[in-house]
This record gives sequence, structure tokens and C-alpha cells, in this order.
Amino acid sequence: MLFRRIYQFMIVYAVFLAILLVVKKGLSLSDYVIPGLSLILETAVQMSAGFFTDVMDTLSVAILGQGISIFLAFFVGILGRKSSWAGSMIRVTAYNIQAYPIVALAPIIFILLGDGFLSRLLIAAMICYFPLLLSVLGVMAAPVEDIEHFYIATGRMRWQLEVKIRAFENLSKLTTVIAGSATLAMAGTIVAEFIAANAGIGYSIRIALYQSDLAAILTALFMIGIVISVYQGILETLGEMVKAKWGSENKGVLL
Amino acid sequence: MKYAKILGPLLGLIVCICVAGVPDSRAEQISLNYRLKWLFNTSVAGDIFAMEKGFFAAAGLDVTIKEGSPEKDAIKELELGYADFGVASADQVIRALDKGADVVVLAQIFQTNPMQWIYRDDQLQITRLSDLQGCRMGITYGGNDETIMKTLLAKAGLTLRDVQVTGVRFDFTPFLKNRVTLWPVYRNSQGVILAGQLAREGESVRFFNPADFGVDFVANSVVTSGKMAADHPDRVRQFLSALLDAWEAAMDPANQKQVLAAVKRYDKGTQGEVQKAQLDATRDLVKPRPDTAVGRIRPKAWAQTEAIMLAQGMIKQPVHVTSRLRDLASFQ
Repeated sequence: MLFRRIYQFMIVYAVFLAILLVVKKGLSLSDYVIPGLSLILETAVQMSAGFFTDVMDTLSVAILGQGISIFLAFFVGILGRKSSWAGSMIRVTAYNIQAYPIVALAPIIFILLGDGFLSRLLIAAMICYFPLLLSVLGVMAAPVEDIEHFYIATGRMRWQLEVKIRAFENLSKLTTVIAGSATLAMAGTIVAEFIAANAGIGYSIRIALYQSDLAAILTALFMIGIVISVYQGILETLGEMVKAKWGSENKGVLL
Repeated sequence: MKYAKILGPLLGLIVCICVAGVPDSRAEQISLNYRLKWLFNTSVAGDIFAMEKGFFAAAGLDVTIKEGSPEKDAIKELELGYADFGVASADQVIRALDKGADVVVLAQIFQTNPMQWIYRDDQLQITRLSDLQGCRMGITYGGNDETIMKTLLAKAGLTLRDVQVTGVRFDFTPFLKNRVTLWPVYRNSQGVILAGQLAREGESVRFFNPADFGVDFVANSVVTSGKMAADHPDRVRQFLSALLDAWEAAMDPANQKQVLAAVKRYDKGTQGEVQKAQLDATRDLVKPRPDTAVGRIRPKAWAQTEAIMLAQGMIKQPVHVTSRLRDLASFQ
């Protein structure tokens, strides 16, 4: 799965690059508009090492942000699963917070937390959190009536059991969403760095943009793509392992 | 009845011919796109004035002026055919030439670079460049101000390690909270706002202008493609002549009221008093002396800008930017 993700990314990137080079050739554009292959390779050789460190820096913040958003999404999802007034209130609040664009909130975040690690972390978590919340709410708010009916009828239903049943029945969906949210966490961290941080690959892309250096931006995109492919591949593999382990341990028994 | 059947379409045909025959003043005008470097504000008062007061129309041109942003690069748009003329900073022009772009400079709008550093005058005295040693200063990594500051420090035998640098972002908090002493601003836009804000708090400010210390880094200029300059010199002359006339008029204090009214139509968010102060500051940068011709190109400053970029490794080889400078006289 891991290697498939990497070579699939390589194919997509190569096609994207080929299209750019065809446009460059077709319109006779200078290296300033679209860099030639030799300039891209030269830039890649010069900047790969630095960009790799930057991407790892960004990834470390993204992983932490994703962890926080997973915790928050499950916390709010479990609290908001009931069709009660409080549950509805929690859902509405969660949706409304997400309605504000991050670029509008970012200056406030930077004033309160500065332009360091915490701001990047918070923005990563905010961008990653909402799709996770939607899925968790969807899973947690939908009763698995066939199974739950038995526990309700026998008076053995507790909230922990309810959550466990619903999570178990939708394990595939939850692991897919968690793996997919890695991309969002990474994108969130890059946005934060792009807007106002002094570290990470988003910050390096901003400098390249100031200098109209598309070759550097393409190198950065390649690095981001490779690293996120590996990370997502690892998450998917872990998800498969969890599913296999939980399935064999429980053998259909939840209690 | 028989005639009516023929008469109807015949009348229709006559009307069509008459309508088609009416001369359309717009049809005779040449349509052009002009990409600015930044948003509509007082810094582009001359461009707005040209559009609002019909300078382009009088020259037989139908010019669409488009706002710019960091993502919109006028030189790239010239090459892609999205723009016919544009505004680009000198470093953009030199970088583009380094990468084989075909661009020529038509006018240098700002005679003094608006990129300067603001500081509270009770905190710092900068009479020599060595006074910068140990200063807490803001720098936009990758931006023009980083290049300029590195050059200034090098002139004083210093490097960025000899000062305390804070990365610049979109808000002024580090400067307002006094965490940074020197903060880079555009003298005629942000500089005016910050100075006003601090004046209300009873604090007075000064501006550190690199040109006062021998670093004459060129700012925004009007550019077009070499192809346009070669193939349509008349069009370039018409455009440039109208634009520079508009800038001359916009910088004339006698027209201040009209200019501010025109700017206000495009920049509704800025208060009138602030815009007035911004226009005064812009005038000092564009037309520092009454006899300075607006748009005057100063080859020495361009050569210095290229030399700085070459020394800092921002371009790989000399691009001979002075050979790409064309003023209005070149098109007469």
C-alpha cells in the first residue's frame, strides 16, 4: 500500500510536470514563467535537502495537529451524538466555528499566540478537524439498531457501549477518514506557515513566491507530495492492522 | 398585404445597415490591459487618475487597469498575453531578465523607493549605518527589504547576525508592542497609517531611508514586453504619454481634490484624511522636486540594483538591465 501510494504520486507529479513543459514549449515561454527541466533539476539538487528538513518540520506539526483534531472530533462527536437540545447545540457551534475562513482568523491567532509553533498547530488542527467531526458525528449519531436493540431491551446499554458499537460497525469509514485528514492537517500547517511563520515548507514556498521562483515551488510540491504519500500510506497500513486486530480479538463480541 | 410581406424585412435590413454604419467611438479605440503590482490605493493615484479623467480615452486607448497581488506577476502576464503593460518592481525585472524573459522598462514611477523602515525617534538615532548594530528589526525573508537591509549592513561591515531579526508578517503588532525597533513599511501607505496611529498615542516617528545611505534600490516601474516595444512603438508611445501626463496631473497639488475623489471611488476603506496624507507622501516619492519629470528612469540606480542582486547571488550572471530601459523619447 505504501509503495503503491508513492509510485501513484510519482505518476501524477510526472504528468503534471509534463503538461507544464508542453505548455512552456507550445507557447515559447521563458524560464521566468515556467522553468525548463534543467532549471527544475538544478534547483531540486540545490534545495532538496533544505526543503526535506522543512517538510519534516511541517509534518511534525501536522501530525500533532491531526492528533488534537481527532481527539476533539471524537469528543464533540460523542457529546453531540444525541438528538437532544445540548447535542444539537454542540453540533451547531462546531459547524459555525468552521464557517469562518482561516485566513480571516489567522491574524487574530497570530496576535494572541505569536507566529511560532502554537499558531501553526492550532491552524492545522482547525483545518483538519471539521471533516473529521462530520464523519464522527455521522457515525455516532446513526444507531446500529439491530445490535443496540438487544442491549437496550436487556437493560445493559451504557454510553460507552453505544459508542463502541457504532465505532466498530463503521471502523472502515473512520480509518479512511483519519488517513484522509492527514492531507488536511498538512495543508493547514502549510497555510499557517505561508501566512505568517518563520519555519516550515509553507514559509519556504512564500519566499519562493516572493522571488517568482517556480522551480523552487515545484521542488517543494514534490517534497510535500512524497512525504504526505508516505505518511498516508503508514496511516492506512495502521488502520488495516487495527481493523484486523480488533476484529479478531472481539470476534463479534463487544462486551 | 403583398407589399407588407416584403416591406417588413426590407425595413429591418435598412435599420441594421444604419445601426452598423453609426461610428462607435469605442470600436476605434485600441483595447489594452494594464496590470498593477498591488491593490487600488493612493500609491497608484496616477493610474487611477488616467482612467477616471479620460487620459487613455483621449489617446485613443481603451485601457483596463487590473489590481495586482503577490500572486499576480505583471511580467508573467505580459509573456502569457494576459496584459499589455504592467507594473513590476526592479528586482522582478532583473530576475525575469536573468531567466530569459523579454521585458523592457518604460518609466520609473517612484524616484525614491517607498520601502523604508519606521522607528520611534526617542528610541534610535541613525546617523551612520553602524548605528544599526544590535538593533531589533523586522525583515520580510525573501522580500526586497531583506536584500536592501543586507546591502546596508554589508556597507557597515555587518551581517544579519549583528542585529536581532524578527520575521515580518501582515500585521504591525511586533512594532506597535515595542518588541521591534525598526519595522519595514511602504512609506506612503503603511508608513502614513502607523505614523498617525502612534501620533495619537503621543509618539513621534522617523523613517530610515536606505537611499540616504547610498543604497538606491529601484522600486516599481512601468514595463512591457520587448515584442510590444518593437512591433507597436506607436501604441507604447500613446499609452506611456497618456499615463505620464496623468501622473503629472495627479501629482500637481492643484488637482489634489479631484485626485482624492478619484482614489476614493476605488479605495473606499481608507479614511479621507489618511488618503490625503498618503497622497502627500506619494508626491514626495514620485516627484521629489517640482522640476523632476514623472517617470524619469535613472540608469545609475538600475545598475546599482543589478549589482546588489548579483552580489547577493539573486541572479546568476549580469543581465545588463540598463540596456532594457526605454523612456518616452525612445518612442517619439
